[in-house]
Amino acid sequence: MKPTVFIAAGTALLGAVVLHQGGYFSSPVTLPPVTLPNVAQPAGTQARQDGYPKPIAVADRDDLPAKADAAPAATAAESTVPASSQKVDETALRYFASKGDTKRLNAEIARLKALYPDWTPPENPLAVRKEGDPQLDQMWKLYSDGKLPELRKAIADRQTAQAGWQPPADLMQRLAVAEAREQLVNASNLKQYDAVIRVGSTNPSLLTCGDVDVLWRVAEAFASTKREDRAKDAYLYILNNCKKPEERYATVQKALPLLSRQNLDLLLATEQKTPDGKGEFAALRGDIARQSVANADADAKLVIPAADIAMVEQLAKDGGLASDSLLLGWYYVRRDNPQAAETWFRKARDKENTAKASQGLALALINENRPAEAEDILYQWRNTDDDTRKVYLASIANLLAVTPPPPIKPEVLQRMVQEVYANKDAASAQQLGWYADSLNQPQTASQWFKLALDWKPDDEPSAYGLALTRWKIGDKAGVKEIQTAWAGRSERIPTVGERSIETAALGKRRTRAAAPDDTSEDQPVRRRPAAQEEASQGEVESPRVARSGRGQPVPRGCSTTLDPSSLLPVVALSRGWCLMQVNRPVEAAAAFEVALRGGSGKTRADAAYGQSLAYLRAGLTDRAAISASQAPMDSDRAVEIRTALLETQANTAFDQGRYNETILALDERSRIAPERTGLMVLRGYAYLKLRRFADAEQIFRAAAATGNHDALRGLNDLNAARHPSAQ
Amino acid sequence: MSISNHALLLAFAMLFALLAPVRPGLAAAAITPAEWSAYKEKFLDPVGRIVDNANGGISHSEGQGYGLLLSYLAGNRGDFDRIWAFTRTEMMVRDDGLAAWKWDPATKPHIRDTNNATDGDILIAYGLALAGEAWRRPDLKQGATAIAMALAAGSLDTVGDLVLLKPGNAGFGSGDRADGPVVNPSYWVFEALPVMAELAPKGPWDQLAANGKLLLAAAMKIGPSSLPPDWVSLKTKPAVADGFPQEFSYNAVRVPLYLVRAGIRDRGLLAPFAAGMTDDQGRVRVVDIATGETRELLTDTGYRIIPALVSCVLDGKPLADDLRTFQPTDYYPSTLQLLALAYARRHHPECL
Repeated sequence: MKPTVFIAAGTALLGAVVLHQGGYFSSPVTLPPVTLPNVAQPAGTQARQDGYPKPIAVADRDDLPAKADAAPAATAAESTVPASSQKVDETALRYFASKGDTKRLNAEIARLKALYPDWTPPENPLAVRKEGDPQLDQMWKLYSDGKLPELRKAIADRQTAQAGWQPPADLMQRLAVAEAREQLVNASNLKQYDAVIRVGSTNPSLLTCGDVDVLWRVAEAFASTKREDRAKDAYLYILNNCKKPEERYATVQKALPLLSRQNLDLLLATEQKTPDGKGEFAALRGDIARQSVANADADAKLVIPAADIAMVEQLAKDGGLASDSLLLGWYYVRRDNPQAAETWFRKARDKENTAKASQGLALALINENRPAEAEDILYQWRNTDDDTRKVYLASIANLLAVTPPPPIKPEVLQRMVQEVYANKDAASAQQLGWYADSLNQPQTASQWFKLALDWKPDDEPSAYGLALTRWKIGDKAGVKEIQTAWAGRSERIPTVGERSIETAALGKRRTRAAAPDDTSEDQPVRRRPAAQEEASQGEVESPRVARSGRGQPVPRGCSTTLDPSSLLPVVALSRGWCLMQVNRPVEAAAAFEVALRGGSGKTRADAAYGQSLAYLRAGLTDRAAISASQAPMDSDRAVEIRTALLETQANTAFDQGRYNETILALDERSRIAPERTGLMVLRGYAYLKLRRFADAEQIFRAAAATGNHDALRGLNDLNAARHPSAQ
Repeated sequence: MSISNHALLLAFAMLFALLAPVRPGLAAAAITPAEWSAYKEKFLDPVGRIVDNANGGISHSEGQGYGLLLSYLAGNRGDFDRIWAFTRTEMMVRDDGLAAWKWDPATKPHIRDTNNATDGDILIAYGLALAGEAWRRPDLKQGATAIAMALAAGSLDTVGDLVLLKPGNAGFGSGDRADGPVVNPSYWVFEALPVMAELAPKGPWDQLAANGKLLLAAAMKIGPSSLPPDWVSLKTKPAVADGFPQEFSYNAVRVPLYLVRAGIRDRGLLAPFAAGMTDDQGRVRVVDIATGETRELLTDTGYRIIPALVSCVLDGKPLADDLRTFQPTDYYPSTLQLLALAYARRHHPECL
């Protein structure tokens, strides 16, 4: 049974919190009511300034259904023996008096008076003489300094040396509570929320206005374990009981990302007026609206108040923050309003041209059927992270699918081809097939279809395209081969050759481009009618054959195709770099090879470096690793290559389902270079696949804190994986 | 509460009578005050942290477990309590109550990976149980019980009909790695398993112990040296696990020590260590599993005492003088040396 934690404000004993069992300390003896955790707090805990708070108890009702000690007020009443019959423990009082700590002394007197109404404090507390137990004083000092393990040692040492000696119960209670606090904070920092709640619920005296930070952490733990109502109760406890303005303000801030709007409104209803007549949470309203829109960005089905959107629009206009414009862009793009999304992404991009703003804008443009612009905008960012790359590839697939085929500049077509090849993107390869086919280049088209099929063997449209183009070039055996392979799996592949090209082509189903994410999932790729003359557009580069350059302008010194083996090593080297510039990595690698074999010294080192980069760009990681070992490199280059190799290795391992290796590769990479947000997300997904949910959550949250949308999606996926029944 | 405590006390009494590991009354003599003082001077941070000085000053749950065990054997309650306090507040922060495996003074937070190491958890629970019994400390025994229950609930894996110990709760199973499940034979702290059985009687601890010996015997057949690799893949027949050094090395070197300390005298398991883990000068070999060749020689007393102790319990050959003298060097071998010395003093004084 899931424990439900009950938070109540007890009032029976002002300022006193009863501890029955502190932390792990489990004496079977019922302990007398003692102590407030506000006196002589160990270092690191906050000193309370406003009067005594009412105690808050977090008790685990399900675990302790019938025990009276689940409700501290009741326990206090039951176990408070008449004060006159008890020896009042004045240890702490004496300690503070001896130190001249008037403030704590007075607090201790007030506390003892509340506990023992018959007790009379010494007339001159500062004159209270020490009773001469320097060892115990030393223990109190260790406690005050927060040296808890050392205190444990001191107590045990004394018990060993002095048989029968017992430490004051007060000290033991305080020690147990302080240790529980450390444990709770450490668990909270590691997002071990069940542990946070376990420690909190067994140490109710931790949960007071005297230490709001602990209350925040318990609330966060509830919210993060699907117990939002409990989280709300904890926040409300603070707002109803605790007085410090900055803590109240921070409470709403903390609750903001964790509570639903409805629960947040309950918190806001406790708002008090500041001396100048403003509401104490006024400055938070903008953040609340932002959070609301951000929630809607992460969940396309979420309906939020129009006022929130209006407020963020106003903030974006007034403040001009790119982040506000981005929030709105994502909001609209996920709500099928690409025109509005475009407007906001453009504003964000004008302010700050980033990968994310460009990615959003490209998505909006794809949804507006303007894939050419999307491709152009996103090209420079295509390698930022997986998601950007997916959107970029989607722009390619959509651009190639436009009917009628738009004129595409040769250099654009070429760079798209390189990317499709490097990313082994089956969807775009298929579109290149149709595109070449429409330009009457069935030979090239069939090569692209073949490639698409290699990358995605169950892709029926590519198989169909391959059969069709083979039929066009008269490769009857090739057609037969496809038809045999797909017998029973496709209705139309067996019909290839039965009808005319035109009717067969018209029978093609509309196909879909790769979906970069949920927003463009339903983005159709429009197919053009089959054979259409577009002589002006030049030639589609075939995948495996070096491009001929026929019909191309000659913009740079390496635009022609030639066999590099005839070149001098230094010339081959510079040709390699030139080919890298125009993103023809496979040819570049061949040129570097010549420089590597024939050159020496710096030429050879540069060639090894260049060739590793070329192979990396072409997706040929193994070869890149070999190239890197061909000649010594300076440390910067070695790190660059090593980083890229590990990154590719991590990605490949992930794609192939070897998630532990993904993490190993990322770990190794993070030892030589900082982890980019995109890779953090990859790591998060690897943890997710390994069902290391807590680790996944930690990393997704860290990445999400940078505003990364993949990380937010990661958190959603994580929730889905954790609670499959809820989906 | 009192009934179950009583039952546990009785169970412990029987256990001690049966296995006679370390009798509580004699605890103070197992490790001398001078030895403990030298050990803690070098490896115990005042905050209660056992420091792996050869490994960037980090701490492991394993080290905390060793620290509890050694301070118990030295009869030093003060140090025991501070090690426990640190372990509890800083490392036992997982949702399941087990300890995070690594604590690094150089990072914030000090724990970066919340995975556990099961040998560390077992050693912590074992140290707590022994001390709780000897010093009549129900709080320690309660801590031990919680760990044993959590281990039984989340750290054991069934492979075929074998019950095995996962090295950590996450990351080593058949669904986690291509060569999974992967296990580490040196995580079987055999002497602790009967104590776990008393703490958490519902767990299959007896089977775990028996299967651990089977696993070890199988792992010793992987290479020509008859020594087990540190990490073993059980995806098909036992093999060296990927991604780890393919060696009999720093992990597996303690396997014979654990066997001896647990009272196991099976020559089939022990003799290959006595015969094969040293060179002719008694130095401990790090062995390439595939070829049986020596890759490295370990000269530290803490390593050399292990095969010497095996020879002594099997054949009565006393330990050389230099092995009996404790001079702290690095955390790991120094720990192993004290464990070996403590055992010899208590159970085989003729070895000394």
